[in-house]
Amino acid sequence: MTTTALSLCYLNGITDFASAREKAFHWLVEERGREAHWFWRWKFKTADRNVRFDPDKYGWPWISGSASWVIPTAFGVIALKQFTVCNRSEPSEKRIRLGVDMLLDRACAGGGWNSGNSIVYGVPLPAHVEATAIALLSLQDEERTSMIGASLAWLKQKSAAIESVESLAWCILCLFVYQEPVDHLKARLATLIGDGREIRNNATLATAILALKCGEMIHPFVVLR
Amino acid sequence: MNIDRRRFVGATAGMAATTGMAADWFWPKYSVSYQKPRSLVAILNATEYSEKVEALLIDGLRLFRLNVAGRRVLLKPNLVEDLPGPVNTNANIIGTAARCFLRLGAARVVIGEGPGHQRDTELVVQAANLKPHLEDRQIQFVDLNRDELVRVKLKANYSGLGGLWLPRTILDSDFVVSMPKIKTHHWAGVTLSLKNMFGIVPAMKYGWPKNLLHWHGIHESILDICATVPIHFVIADGITAMEGNGPLQGTARDLGKIVLADDPVAADATCARLMGFDPLRVQHLSDAGRFLGNLKTERITMLGERPEPITRPFSVLPEFHYLVAPAH
Repeated sequence: MTTTALSLCYLNGITDFASAREKAFHWLVEERGREAHWFWRWKFKTADRNVRFDPDKYGWPWISGSASWVIPTAFGVIALKQFTVCNRSEPSEKRIRLGVDMLLDRACAGGGWNSGNSIVYGVPLPAHVEATAIALLSLQDEERTSMIGASLAWLKQKSAAIESVESLAWCILCLFVYQEPVDHLKARLATLIGDGREIRNNATLATAILALKCGEMIHPFVVLR
Repeated sequence: MNIDRRRFVGATAGMAATTGMAADWFWPKYSVSYQKPRSLVAILNATEYSEKVEALLIDGLRLFRLNVAGRRVLLKPNLVEDLPGPVNTNANIIGTAARCFLRLGAARVVIGEGPGHQRDTELVVQAANLKPHLEDRQIQFVDLNRDELVRVKLKANYSGLGGLWLPRTILDSDFVVSMPKIKTHHWAGVTLSLKNMFGIVPAMKYGWPKNLLHWHGIHESILDICATVPIHFVIADGITAMEGNGPLQGTARDLGKIVLADDPVAADATCARLMGFDPLRVQHLSDAGRFLGNLKTERITMLGERPEPITRPFSVLPEFHYLVAPAH
């Protein structure tokens, strides 16, 4: 699912491939986490309460046939928001709102997001840097609630000590959109990357390059609505 | 003949159970068997993660007369999250095991893991303090979540998945060592060497967490994965284990043991007994005892000392009280 959302984000930036963009958009509007089915919603509301969440608020799964999780939902929201900048429709707005509501429902108690749920067996889960950064990117045009403020503050505080390329890159991409200073973070990221030879996977390398280019190009995840 | 409702329900349930057992007998859900006549298990006593562990581990491994000379060894630890507490397999044990296999003649040692929740594997490796152990050029770390993938037909069919994409690094290894942290688990009851193999399933394909496996049944998926990628050896870290709401939010339990075994089922059964649980009550372990290894004590040879009976079973969530062995 994230492949489709990220592809749509990319294609949103160019004028070609209108048919592919349309197909991706319609697929994203229809796709949903498995818990969106009435039977699972009923089960999670009545019989299975070990994980705290509102099953009426569903997003997107990593892979069809599984439940909604924070990162694919955030990418789904960004892709749909970007695609519908000039052509909003009721189904797309409804789908975006469901995704946003799911993210707001799953936020951790002290701000930020874990991979999917915030409380399991009554125990609050800690936030993850990447999930928080990507979720905040998807909420950039939403009302700045205290929860979004707390999440942003948490991310800023975490970013000060991160020594990992991927997490630091996502911090930069997110904080830049929220107009927070990122130059010191970019300098640290450049040092961590070095000549890039140590980075073995392309996704991390690509994210790092996008982060280093923040401010010099159109931000790939910016939402102008 | 008069038949009341109770008798009818009883007879129907009995027939269903008999049919189920007969079906399993005639049409087993697995196409391989790794069971051998006897399995070897050694329990090593270690109270702390000190430099003494290396001598202890190499002596322990020599008891098994392993032939790893010239082979590509893959160590699969349990590295889950950058959280405090006994969440991850201790880095000293992982690094020590890697050096021990090199001393035993392994051609190369790869430490491979694909964390299930945390997408940034580097963050987990840093938090686990594994980096200093990777300075040896003969020891490599591979992020199994982002490795090259190969589509593989599963060698058991408990989950109904049929096939999975699996990392090339795993499939190219000659000798797979599962290195779990001994922990309770809020969905599976326990997480030991078999459950640890969830970490070989690539999240780049199946997501963080690998939620599709949950929807297809955790116990069932464990069986299918372990039938497809056999575990050749187990080094279970139980010096400081986890009880209660594991695998992430539980509490530390000083068990003071490292469990070695040449059979993952025997290893997990032994670990479960050390935790005060009846291994037959762990669903995937009970089924694994049919074809993935030996569950019963009669078929397990203990090398070195026999385990002392545990004084207090590991605490578990109320849903898993049934795991506790009757003696407790």
